[in-house]
Amino acid sequence: MHFYLRQRLEEVRKRVLYESYEAQKLPAWERIVITWMALFAFWIVISGKFSPSHMITGALVTLIVAVVTRDFLTDDIRQTGHLISKAAYIFLFLIPQYLFIMAFRLLESNLKVVKNVLFMDINPGIVKVKSNLHSNTGLTVLANSITLTPGTLTLDVTKKLGEAYLYVHWIDVETLDGEKAGMKIKGEIEEWLKKIFW
Amino acid sequence: MIELLFLLFGIFIMFFGALGLLRFPDVYTRLHATAKCDTGGAISILLALALASDFPITGKLKFLVIAFMIAMINPMVSHAIARAAYKSGIKPKAVVDMYAWDNP
Repeated sequence: MHFYLRQRLEEVRKRVLYESYEAQKLPAWERIVITWMALFAFWIVISGKFSPSHMITGALVTLIVAVVTRDFLTDDIRQTGHLISKAAYIFLFLIPQYLFIMAFRLLESNLKVVKNVLFMDINPGIVKVKSNLHSNTGLTVLANSITLTPGTLTLDVTKKLGEAYLYVHWIDVETLDGEKAGMKIKGEIEEWLKKIFW
Repeated sequence: MIELLFLLFGIFIMFFGALGLLRFPDVYTRLHATAKCDTGGAISILLALALASDFPITGKLKFLVIAFMIAMINPMVSHAIARAAYKSGIKPKAVVDMYAWDNP
């Protein structure tokens, strides 16, 4: 009993150290630049004009908005590498890869719903899945991705003692074991999300 | 030609989503049908519109912005509906219910 408590205390202490390291924020100007790039891309798509007056107005306005709201978008980004390589990696490689993966998962889930509607071969149940992500933004994106992948729908999220659990409504329960269900439900999306969010 | 294919696929998926809304047994399985089929069908129809319309390229990109917004907001809304239904006491017809084990 005593040994067990000491071991558990060591685990919690290591966990706190790890999280306080990972939860360090980026430097302020990096947060401003990442937010500014995202907002300026959105401005260009929405306005649709490329004359210099529009571009300069857009750059100034989005810079002001980025300075004010720099904490909202980039609060949970994992801090690795240099700013330019990180921004290029996120905007040019990771986000198109994510959209590509999710498009095909969505197609597959639509066809699976059509199959379920026609044959009614359902066996529903609510299972509990452990997640390795700890930040709020990462858990939100993971829950949304799970809802769009075939046969699963997220019900609730709880965080206890630094461990996050998802309750997932599964339309065709195949296994009740936590790790196997996690492998089947989350797939490669969680490893992908761990590259950006902590 | 390809836009007609996208349009027909979107209508097909939306039709089966509505059929699933009528046929499935309880709230949660019905939410499966609506969340996935509405997202996929709406995105497919929006892609067909973006390909078929004769706007300039920035006009077509706005359809993709709407598709991205739908893909972000629709799962969140279905999650909110499912959680509110569970909190208000609707029991799922399920073989296993681990959410009731942890929240008695």
